Amino acid sequence: MSGNTSVTRVDVSSVAQAQRVPVHFLPCEIEHNGPAQVSEYLTTTTKDCKLEKTVSFRGRGLKGQELSCPQGYTGLVLKETNKPSSDHEDRTLRVSSVFDKLTYWNLETPPNSDDTVVMAMDWPELAEAIHGPVED
Amino acid sequence: MATKKKRTPNVQNNSWVVIAADSSIDSQKHESEPAFVRLRNPSTDATSLYMLSSGDVQLFEVKAFEEDFHSWFVGQTVQRDGRLLFVTPMDPLYLMMPYLIKSGKEGKFQPVDQVVVDEEFPACSRLLRCTRSLASLHHIAEEKEVGKQRFHRYSHEKTMTWLKKKVERAVCVLKARNISVGERVKSRTYIRVKSESDYHDEDYLRYAHGLISEYLSEDLSKALLKHLQLPELTSPKESEPPSKKRKLSDKPVEAEEDYTKFNSADFARKPPKKMTAAQKSLAKADKTGMKTMSSFFSPKAKAEKK
Repeated sequence: MSGNTSVTRVDVSSVAQAQRVPVHFLPCEIEHNGPAQVSEYLTTTTKDCKLEKTVSFRGRGLKGQELSCPQGYTGLVLKETNKPSSDHEDRTLRVSSVFDKLTYWNLETPPNSDDTVVMAMDWPELAEAIHGPVED
Repeated sequence: MATKKKRTPNVQNNSWVVIAADSSIDSQKHESEPAFVRLRNPSTDATSLYMLSSGDVQLFEVKAFEEDFHSWFVGQTVQRDGRLLFVTPMDPLYLMMPYLIKSGKEGKFQPVDQVVVDEEFPACSRLLRCTRSLASLHHIAEEKEVGKQRFHRYSHEKTMTWLKKKVERAVCVLKARNISVGERVKSRTYIRVKSESDYHDEDYLRYAHGLISEYLSEDLSKALLKHLQLPELTSPKESEPPSKKRKLSDKPVEAEEDYTKFNSADFARKPPKKMTAAQKSLAKADKTGMKTMSSFFSPKAKAEKK
């Protein structure tokens, strides 16, 4: 049987040790996974205005906004430290970081309520309508 | 424009950004840890990823919110994979229903633990451990109790009544959250002033039916449409139900991580009443660097303008 039998556990004890970190959602793909000097080059040059944040990233003007996680929800970054060698083995993910808000950045466009990531935050409420218990 | 640079595949991804219901990671009272499991998707019949909380108390759906050209900064690191996963509570009946329908064809009352079994997806029997499962089976099945044993038989009528309630609940949220349900609101570049009255109850019903159909087989989805007294639409171009449209934009799910693809064509908020000239020009300028937001809302070529 294929990998359908294996499960991927979440080590919840790791939540307690997880760091609360700033999280940025960027409007570009960066072909890299690994360390970056985010606070040095992004955070320190960010201008905080009333309605939006602005920053220049690689010569492009980004406009951003903070977005809170929906109520009853927590942001988690799950990490797999030991990849199994086959699909049959069970896997374990650790919670490496937690967040309750994120900053999302648009390229040039001012942040507004039509932004897809803003709308995505409505999903939990819609899901509750679709999945919540129905009365008799 | 410069030629498109070919992107290398992201093979070493080992990190995911998730927004998860607090109840999914609560492990206080139970022995086992929460786990992602593969189960049969009731709509596609293929594998999808779900999550069971510790002790299998609650089922969760895993959806990936995905747009092209996004990455994350997490603390002082780059994460290339720009997806945002949502882990939201899910009604286990949707996943159990196909098994009950199948065994219901025999017309017999059966113990449900003999019905919800799947060689290909052994984890499916864990669905029965969810608190809600046994308590809510009466919504889709007739029940009989003989001695201490309970027996169930799928009921189409009950299921339709139950699904209709689901549709009505979804309609309420769509209205309350001001989520656009019409066919016309697609492109941010071509926004027209819309008022509440432009959406009819039928639009909401159809839209909600599309949302619920994500969890139903095609036959059941059609039957529900009939039960809602909505005629099937014949013109495929303008008026396919959302469930159909969404399939078009669903990319094949990666074999390794088959998070059900999240598509925000599911819900586009009504556009702001008016855009300033500057906003309009920015919305246009935006097209160069990245996929436009509007193309994310709707299947391509649908953003018709007047």
